[in-house]
Amino acid sequence: MQITETLGLLLALSFVISLLALTILIWAIANKQVHTPDADDARTIFEPGEGADTDAPNDPHHFNAARAGIDASSSSVVMWLIAAAVFWLIYGSLHGLAASLELHLPDLMSGTAQMTFGRMRTVHLNSVAYGWASQGGLAAVCWILPRIFRTELRMTGLLKTGIVLWNIGLAAGVFAIANGWTDGLEWLEIPWQIDIVLAAGAACFVAPLIATAKHRNVHHIYVSGWYFLAAVLWFPVLFVIANIPGVHHGVEQATMNWWYAHNVLGLWLTPLGVGAAYYFIPKIIGKPVYSYALSLVGFWALALFYSQVGIHHLIGGPVPTWLVTLSVVHSVMMFVPVIAVAINQHVTVAANLWALKESIPLRFISFGAVMYTLASFQGSIEALRSVNTITHFTHYTVAHAHLGAYAFVSLVLMGVIYQVVPRATGKYWPFPRMIAWHFWLNVIGFAIYFFSLTIGGVLQGLAQLDATKPFADSVTLLKPYLEGRSLGGGLMTLGHVLLVINLIAIGFAKKTRETETENMVAAE
Amino acid sequence: MTDKKPDPRRPDETFEPFEATRRIPWPVYSIAIALAIWGVIMLVQTSTAVQVADKAQTEAAKQEPTKLAQAAAPDLDAGKTLFADNCATCHGDAGEGVTGAFPPLHGSDIVKLGGAKAVTQIVMRGIGGKLNVNGESYEGEMPAFGSVLSDTEISEVASYVATGLNDDAKTISAPEVADIRKVAGDMDPLDGGAGLAGLINNLPAQPESAAAEKGPGSERVAQLVSQGSGTVWACASCHGDKGEGTETVPRLAGLPAPYLAKQLHDFQKGTRPNDSMAYVAKGLSDQEIVELANYYATMTSPSGAKPSLEGDLKRGAQLAKEGDWSIGVPACFTCHGPSGVGVAPNFPGIAAQQPAYVAHQLAMWAGGARHNSPLGLMAGIGKALNDADRRAVADYLASLAPMPAMDKTELAAMESNIPVREGVDQ
Repeated sequence: MQITETLGLLLALSFVISLLALTILIWAIANKQVHTPDADDARTIFEPGEGADTDAPNDPHHFNAARAGIDASSSSVVMWLIAAAVFWLIYGSLHGLAASLELHLPDLMSGTAQMTFGRMRTVHLNSVAYGWASQGGLAAVCWILPRIFRTELRMTGLLKTGIVLWNIGLAAGVFAIANGWTDGLEWLEIPWQIDIVLAAGAACFVAPLIATAKHRNVHHIYVSGWYFLAAVLWFPVLFVIANIPGVHHGVEQATMNWWYAHNVLGLWLTPLGVGAAYYFIPKIIGKPVYSYALSLVGFWALALFYSQVGIHHLIGGPVPTWLVTLSVVHSVMMFVPVIAVAINQHVTVAANLWALKESIPLRFISFGAVMYTLASFQGSIEALRSVNTITHFTHYTVAHAHLGAYAFVSLVLMGVIYQVVPRATGKYWPFPRMIAWHFWLNVIGFAIYFFSLTIGGVLQGLAQLDATKPFADSVTLLKPYLEGRSLGGGLMTLGHVLLVINLIAIGFAKKTRETETENMVAAE
Repeated sequence: MTDKKPDPRRPDETFEPFEATRRIPWPVYSIAIALAIWGVIMLVQTSTAVQVADKAQTEAAKQEPTKLAQAAAPDLDAGKTLFADNCATCHGDAGEGVTGAFPPLHGSDIVKLGGAKAVTQIVMRGIGGKLNVNGESYEGEMPAFGSVLSDTEISEVASYVATGLNDDAKTISAPEVADIRKVAGDMDPLDGGAGLAGLINNLPAQPESAAAEKGPGSERVAQLVSQGSGTVWACASCHGDKGEGTETVPRLAGLPAPYLAKQLHDFQKGTRPNDSMAYVAKGLSDQEIVELANYYATMTSPSGAKPSLEGDLKRGAQLAKEGDWSIGVPACFTCHGPSGVGVAPNFPGIAAQQPAYVAHQLAMWAGGARHNSPLGLMAGIGKALNDADRRAVADYLASLAPMPAMDKTELAAMESNIPVREGVDQ
C-alpha cells in the first residue's frame, strides 16, 4: 500500500474533522448543552442498606472506599503490579546508566555483545516503558478506577493472569533483545513472536477494567476514568497494529513506526500519568479541580489531535511533505489540551501550597504534573521545522523524551506508589525520611541530566549544521555533557534504590491499622 | 513520624475528587482559535507548494522529448557559439590550430574523412598523444567533453565543425550522438592518431601509439589500487575504478603527482586530518607513495561529476574565472590553471572534481580543519566564501571537462621534486 493522494486527503480531513469536533464541544460547553455533574450525579447510588453509608452522608464528595471493601478488592493486584513495576524500574535504570556511561567511556563494556550500547539502550527503553511505566500506570488504574466508580475491582484472577503473562513476555523480549534478536524498529524491538504473549497479557487487563466500569455505582465518570478507560482501549489497538509482521514496508514502515512510538507516549503513558494526577492532586489537597469544562476540553483535544503527532520525527525524511506538515500542525495543536489540563491541575495546587509541605507523594505527583505541561510545550515547539532542524539527531531529543517519560510519568507514578502502598497494605513506610531523599535525588539528578543534554544537544545540533566543522567536532564537544548525564542518571538510580529499600522493608513490617479513616501523609 | 501538628486544612481520608463548575477561561478560547487558524494556513501553504513543485516537474518531463525532437536538425548557429566557448581557446577562433600542439579544424583531412561522427567521438572522449593532420604532426591533450556538453550540444558543435569549417554536408543529430554515448561515453580518451584507426576509413598515416611504457613497480601499484594490502584499503574501493571519486571522495585521475604525494605524506603526519586516509597512508612506504602518485597522475578518465548541490552556476563561473574582489577572493583559475586543469606541482586540477568534495574542502579550509595549502592561501579564500558560494563554485567546477592526463615526460621531470616524509611542510 502506498501513501496516495486519497489517503492524504483523508488524513488532512482528520485535522479538519478534529477541529470541527473541538469547536462543537466548546460551543456545547459554552451554551450549557453539556450536562454538568451536579451533586446528585456524584452521589453514590447504592441500594439502601447495601452497606455503603458514607461518613458524611449529606456530602456527596465523601466516600469511604476502605470501608466499602473496594480497596480490599484491588490491593493485591495493585501490589503485584507495583512490585513488578519497581523491579523493571531498577533493571531499566541500571541499563540506562550503563548505556549512558558507554557514551563517554566507549571501551568500558565493549567485550561482550550483550553489553554494547545498542543493546543496553534498547533493553533500557523496553524495561522502563513496558515494565516500569506501563505496570506502574496500571497499578494506578486498578487502584483509582474502583474508587471513582465506587465498586469492587472485577475479575482480579484474570488481571493476575495478565500480570504474569505480561512479565513473562517482557522478560523473554528483553532476553531476546540482549542476545541480538529484535524486530529492528524503535519501541517495537521485541520480536513479534514474543509480542503475542504480551498482547495476550494486555487483553487480560482490558476485560476486567471494562467490567469494573460497567458495574459502576456513579452516573458521572470523573475525569481520571475517561483517561484510564481510553488508554486501556487505545494501547492494545496500537500495540497489535504496529506489531503485525509483514504489513508495513519501507517509508510506510517508518511512518507507522513513529505513529506507534509517539502514541505509546501520548495515548498510553500520558493518560495514565494525567489520570493519576487528576485523582491524587485534589484527593490529597481536599479541593476540587478547577473546571469540569476544562476537563472535557483537555481530554477530547488529546483524543482528537494526538494520533497524528508522531510523524514530525520524520521531518527531512523521504515522506510526503504534507504528511509531515499535518503532523507538525497536530503537534502544535497539543497546546490546547495541555493548557486545559495545566489550569485544572496547577490552579488547585497553587492555591494550596501548604499541602506540598505536608505530603511528599503530592510533591512527586504535582512536580510530575508540572513537568507534563513543560514537556508538552517543549514537544510542540520541537515539532516546528525551524527548531527541529537543529535538535533532530541530537541529545536534545533524549532530554525531551526523559522530561516526558521520566520527570512527568515516572515521578507521578512514584508519588502514586508512596501514596497507595500504605493504604493497600495497611502499613506505614518504615523509612519516611528516605522518601524525601528519593524526591530530592530524583529532582536534582534529573535537573543535571536534563540541562546537560539540552545544552549539549543544541551545541551538537549547531555543530552538525556548521559545514566548516568536521563531524567529529559535534561528537567530541559532547563529552562533558554526556558525563553530566551519567552523573544525573546515577543520582536518579540512587533514588530508585531508596524506593526499593523502603518497599522491601514495608513487606516485612507489621500491619499497624485495619482501616484507613485517617489521612496518612506518607512522610509522617 | 514527626511530632509536627497536621495542617488543619488537611481533608479527611474519605474526600473524593470532583470537578468544580467553572467556565472555560477566555485565554483558552483565544489560544485554541489562533492555533486552529495557524494550522489551516500551514496546511494550505504546504499543499500549494507541493502543487507548484508537481507542476514544475511534469512540465520539465514534457519538455525533454520536444527538445530532442527539435534537435533532429542541429542548430549550426548554436554550434558556432559552442565552438567559440569551448574549442576556440586551443583550436583558434576560425579553427586554424596551433602549430605542433593543437591541430586545425578548418580544412582538416581527418574531419573531412571522419565527418561529424568522428568529431563526436573525439569531443566526447577526448584525445591525447601524437596525431598527424594534413601531413603535419601535432601533440597535445584534449579533455573529454562528454560530461560538459549534452547530446544536443555535441550534435550542434560537431555538425558545425563538419559542415561549417569543412565541406562535409553531413550533420549529426542528437539521437545519433546519444547512440554513440551509449557505447563510447565511458571509454578512455583516444590514443592519439593511432586511436582513430577504428573510427575513420582510409586514415592517413599516423604516428605509432605511445602505449604506456609501464615503469618499474606498476604491476604492484595496480594491485595496491585494486586490491589493497594489509592496512591499505584498495584505493579503488572509495575513489572508483577510474579514480573518478564520488560525493565527498575526490577524483584523483590526472592530479599532479607531487600534489598527490604531498597529500599522502600530510595524511601520514596528520597535517591534513582525515581518520580514514591517515590509517591508509600510514601503511604506505615512501616508494609506494611515489608510485601511487604517478599512477593517478597519468590516469585519464571521463568525468564522473556533475552539478548536484543546487549551486548558482553563474556565480560559480564568476568566482572561478574572475574571482570576487569585493570579498577578496581571486579567480580559482589564477592558480589552478586555465579551465581549472591544475598547475603542477602545487595546484591540483579542480575541473570535473566531485562537487560535494570541493564544497566540503572549502568548508574545511574555512573552519581550519584543513590547513595544508601553500602559504595558507586556501584558508583565506575558504573563510571569504559563504555556503551558497561554496556550492556555486563546486557545482560550476563539476560542469567542466576533466583535466587531461599529465604528460609522462613532464612527470619524470617532476619526480625529483616529490616531497619525502621529512620534506618541507608547507
